[in-house]
Amino acid sequence: MTAARARFTAPIRAGSRFLLGLLLAAAVWEGAVILLGIRPHILPRLSEVLSAIALTPGAYRDGFLRTLAETLIGFVAGAGIGVLNGVAFFRAPVLRDMLFPIFVVSQTIPVIAFGALVVLWFGNTLMAKAVIAFYLTFFPVTVNTLLGLNAVDPRQVALLRSFGASGRQVLLRLQLPMALPQIFVALRLAASLSLVGAIVGEWFGDTTGIGVLLLQAMYNENVVALWAAILCSALLGTGFYALVALAERRIVFWGAEQ
Amino acid sequence: MREVSKSFGTVQALRGFALSVQGGEFVTVVGPSGCGKSTLFNIVAGLDEPDDGGILRFKDRGCHARELLGRVSFMPQRDLLLPWRNVIDNAILANEIEGASRRDARARALAMLPEFGLAGFEKQYPHQLSGGMRQRVALMRTFLFERELMLLDEPFGALDALTRTMMQRWLLDVWQRHRRTILFITHDVDEAIFLGDRVLVMTARPGAVKLARQVDLPRPRTPDLVTAPEFVALKREILDAIEEEAMKSFIASTGA
Repeated sequence: MTAARARFTAPIRAGSRFLLGLLLAAAVWEGAVILLGIRPHILPRLSEVLSAIALTPGAYRDGFLRTLAETLIGFVAGAGIGVLNGVAFFRAPVLRDMLFPIFVVSQTIPVIAFGALVVLWFGNTLMAKAVIAFYLTFFPVTVNTLLGLNAVDPRQVALLRSFGASGRQVLLRLQLPMALPQIFVALRLAASLSLVGAIVGEWFGDTTGIGVLLLQAMYNENVVALWAAILCSALLGTGFYALVALAERRIVFWGAEQ
Repeated sequence: MREVSKSFGTVQALRGFALSVQGGEFVTVVGPSGCGKSTLFNIVAGLDEPDDGGILRFKDRGCHARELLGRVSFMPQRDLLLPWRNVIDNAILANEIEGASRRDARARALAMLPEFGLAGFEKQYPHQLSGGMRQRVALMRTFLFERELMLLDEPFGALDALTRTMMQRWLLDVWQRHRRTILFITHDVDEAIFLGDRVLVMTARPGAVKLARQVDLPRPRTPDLVTAPEFVALKREILDAIEEEAMKSFIASTGA
């Protein structure tokens, strides 16, 4: 039963060590600014940044939630469409040969060039940002889904076929689950990319969001507000990534074992 | 099942191979490596079509190999368990595919666990099991998929010698109770004689039947059988046949 107990205590221990690390980093930040006499417009003290957030918590909370919504919608759409694309390309190589190069070309266009267009099309809406987040995420998910599906052991497919399985049964019971570890690699990447997409999307014009906070702080040369916005985006990015990683560990519990 | 016979002319793997298996019979196939044993199995499992001119008969009816998909229970060399399914759910995979109710299949599998030495392991996942246990789960999957013909492709090839003899005796035991028709590939002559009602020796590529010998040894068979004079004489004959074929393929590969 020690193994079972280790399963529960190990994450707690790792978590508490991580918190300790965070506190240490915070102390180093605060201490270094004071001890080395770093000027506030280079690097403000952490406590100053935190109290700036505490002064107008509403603005930061709204910005956080807004960007979170854009990121989530873009991520979910990108993941869903990406997996569907991967499956479609896997089942229909003709489709893959026709569309895959176009996808690659689309991904070489810098998102900045593309962003203005999306805002023109969708207006200054939440949807416009979600579309940019989607644009950044669907491609890696497509590629990794296809990779994962192609990597399934043909002997395993032969076994299921010998049981009389249809193509659909082979896909749902074997190929997709087998591809999950690969798909999750892309999803972790997509978690970070969708946040980038949402923030960049906000730069093309909006009134709330972390990207907006970043821009405002930049124009006002308000270094404290800039750091506050950076902290918010760090919290959002890390939290979202951690959630995806946690889901991965729960769902792909068997690891890379084949 | 009455009769499966096939004769077909492939350029490479098999040529003019003919075999008929009676219901309830345990036939073992031995041959030098690369003699087309696996090709033969893939055809009987319905995964590959023989070349034109080949004749397959199943239950006294001519058929295409692909019609055999889902009608023969096939066990490949590796266990090929799905890592996200526990022992029970791996065992019922084939039943689930043919549309059986999961609950019934699980109940049947659960009742079968002790016979396969897996009692109490139903909730374990493949990565938590030993090689011998994984192989037994794969065998259980094959047994639960109740078909007239079972194809076993070197099922014990990856196991250590001790586990292997244990598994052989155990397989005979299970076979005697369930009376299935078994076609069993191996490269171990002892295993072939010990298990089979009939032993087939295949020629070097292109594979054909070199020698077919009835094994008239009493059942149930015990481990000391391997030192019995009849066993040794049969083994001698089969080894000679294999040796001859192995030399042929060796000369062919080095002489070219």
